[in-house]
Order: sequence, then structure tokens, then C-alpha cells
Amino acid sequence: MIGSFRQRPEWIAIALIAILSGCAAHPPQAAFQDATHLPTRSEIEQTPFYKQEQYQCGPAALATALSASGVIVEPEELAAEVYLPGRKGSLQVELAAAARARDRVAYTLAPRLTDLLEQVAAGNPVLLMQNLGLKLLPAWHFAVLVGYDRDAQTVILRSGTTPRLAMDVQRFMRTWDRAQRWAILILPPDRLPAHPELDRYMAAVASLESTGRLDAAERAYLQARGQWPQSVWPALGLANVSYARGELRKAETGYLDSLALDPQNVVAHNNLSEILLERGCVTQARSHIERATQLAKGTSLEVPVASTARHIAAASAQDSGASCPQP
Amino acid sequence: MVKLMQKTLVHVLAVSIIGLGSPMLAQAGIISTLEGIQSTQAQSDLARINQALAREQVREQMRALGVDEAQVQARLARLTEAELQTLADRLDHLPAGAGLLEVIGIVFIVLFILEAVGVIDVFKNVP
Repeated sequence: MIGSFRQRPEWIAIALIAILSGCAAHPPQAAFQDATHLPTRSEIEQTPFYKQEQYQCGPAALATALSASGVIVEPEELAAEVYLPGRKGSLQVELAAAARARDRVAYTLAPRLTDLLEQVAAGNPVLLMQNLGLKLLPAWHFAVLVGYDRDAQTVILRSGTTPRLAMDVQRFMRTWDRAQRWAILILPPDRLPAHPELDRYMAAVASLESTGRLDAAERAYLQARGQWPQSVWPALGLANVSYARGELRKAETGYLDSLALDPQNVVAHNNLSEILLERGCVTQARSHIERATQLAKGTSLEVPVASTARHIAAASAQDSGASCPQP
Repeated sequence: MVKLMQKTLVHVLAVSIIGLGSPMLAQAGIISTLEGIQSTQAQSDLARINQALAREQVREQMRALGVDEAQVQARLARLTEAELQTLADRLDHLPAGAGLLEVIGIVFIVLFILEAVGVIDVFKNVP
């Protein structure tokens, strides 16, 4: 085999070209090409740095991102919450969950370098994952992006044991690509990301609601309502927070507001019917749940809506629906 | 009689333990905002039915990975249903960020392999 290679050196050249071109997924200069609307360089120098202990880049990077958002916490404390000894590492979802548990919004960024740079330029450090190894032999790593320099073609990271790592942007892109370009922001609930996207922001805040961080969810929903006054989702989120707190009058008004914004919203119809039932308005409850049932047909909400409908049907069998006090 | 009482006690405990694991905001009849925005054009009976199972599965996996018993419950409570589902389905395949020390180990292995290849090249190819 070696002999045949020696006789045909062009094979080696072809193989080398194939390997090299395979690696160079990002031609030089291309990485920053969409960032010309941003300053040439930007760096959030005041972002603190927590040094990584053995295998614990997750807790360290999370501590860095959290303290930048105003929550001072040591990596040791976070390790108990996110580290998996058997994996010698931490999972992305658990980092986000630990941030949520401290009333922070964990906002997943779109997988584009420009989006990360926009956040950095706006003063928001980015928690991200890299694969510093190979596809087949991965070395997963969490770091925090705090700056970039278009002239020097570098990004600046808080990484592992290095407080300020200037990494060549091509190299960074390869490591970030190999980690499926995962990147999140950790924000206080009253601060929106730069160029916020409704879907991404709502997903982050609704996760706060679903895990019981109601005060933080409410503050963030209020920000969202200010940003997207025409969208049903922030209004619906606020109504759901009210319901979870037992503020039923406020919740009912909130669901009505939501339906004014989107008369087709299944969740608003369903939840409103539940509240109406609870205060004895069976007829109205039935009309909203019928609407919800029609709208939910064929979607993933069909099952929960059907369960509410059964609940209402059982109650209306016993109740004539005559008593419905004004709210 | 004692047996019956024991049996009842076991059932009550079992139910209360299952209750501990259930999401705190699952009020009957109310659909969460998250469920609303994540709703898809496909039914997901299966996902709903498996929620309790997913939680139990992740609990077992975390224990097996050496998470402190007292921490498991708190860590599970912080996850959304969708996240629990993902962990239950593919925790073993999800990347776990470890950091640079592991990288040094890998670099060593790669260097070792390269060196081994290099040795063959140098010693066998030189006439």
C-alpha cells in the first residue's frame, strides 16, 4: 500500500487537497461579512471571569454569564446543580434550567455568528458550546463570548482557565459548527435581547412560567407585551401567570384580552372556559370549549382540549347553567 | 387486617411519591403558554401519556450518573416537560460540556496516533 502511494505521489496530493478543502468550510473573510453594520470591534471588558476546575467548564461559564446578568454565584454552587459526574460534564438544558431557577431568561440565539456579535455589541455576553475535538472524538466545551475584532479576525472568549482568549474566527466557527452552533443569552427578566425575536423570547419566558418562576415570567411577559403589543402570546402568558397565582378575575380579563388580539387562539378559549366553569358559568364555558375543540382539531392541543371538554360536559350534566354572576 | 393496612399504606405512599414528581403547574383544564406556543399540527397523545414515565426515566439516569440523591428531585423540578422528554429519549447522546482538560487528553491520543503513523513512515519508508 505504501509502495503504491510512493509510485503515485499525485494520490497523496489529491487526498491532501480533499482533506484541506473539507476542513476549510469557511473561506477567509467570510465569517464577518454580514457584520459590517456593527462596530469594527467590541468587547464587554467588565464581564467577570470564573476559572474552570477539572471538567467543570459548564459551571464556570454559567457563573460568568450569570454574574454578568446580575446574579453573583460561585461555580462550586452551580456544579451541584448542573454537573453529571458520570458524564464528566454538564448538559445544555441544565445550564438553562439553573439560570431560570435564578429568575433569568435563557434565550436561545439563532445559529448565526452575526446574531452573536449583535448581542456582544449591545453588551450581552453569549454563553455557547464548542466542540474543540473532532466529530468522531468530541471534546465539548462551554465558553462565554464577550467580544470580537473584525480587523484582527478574532473573537474574544472567557474560556476554561483563560480569562481573555482571542481566537481566530475561522477556527472558532469550526468548533462552534461542530456543536450545532448552540448559543444562549442569560438575561434579567426586564431586559430584552438586542433585536429580539418573538418566538424565541416567548419560548424562553414560557419555560419560566412552566417551571413556576411566576414573578420573573410576569416581568418578562410585560417586556414582551411592550415590544409586541399586537401579539396574543404575551397577553396570554400574563393571564396564565394570574391563573397560576389564583387571581381568577385578572386571569379572566387577560384571556378576554387575548381573544381580542387573536379570536382563534385555542389556549385562550380553553383556559377561559375552565375559569367560567369554575365560577358557575357553564353555558359560556361550553361555548368557548366548543370553539377550542374546533380550532384544535388535528393539532397537539386536541388532547388537552378534549380533557377540558369532558370536564365541562360532566359539570353541565349536573348544572343547568342558570347561575352566572357578573365578574 | 395488619396486611390490609400495610397494603393501603404502600398504596398511599406510592401515590404521594408519584405526586411529588408531577409538574407543579399542571392545573386541571389549563393549558400552559409553553404548550400553546409549542403546539404542532400533529397529535401527541404519546408524549402526554409518557410524561410520568419520562420523569421516572430521567430520575434513574441521573442517579446512575452519580447525581446526589437530594439534588435529583430539585434538578428534575426545574425542567420543562419537553426538556424532560428530550433527556429521557437521548440523554446518552447529548453533548456534555467538560472543558479543556479532556481536550488535553484527546490531543495526546491524536499526537500518539500521529506519532505512531510517523514512526512507520520514517522507519519503513526510508530505504
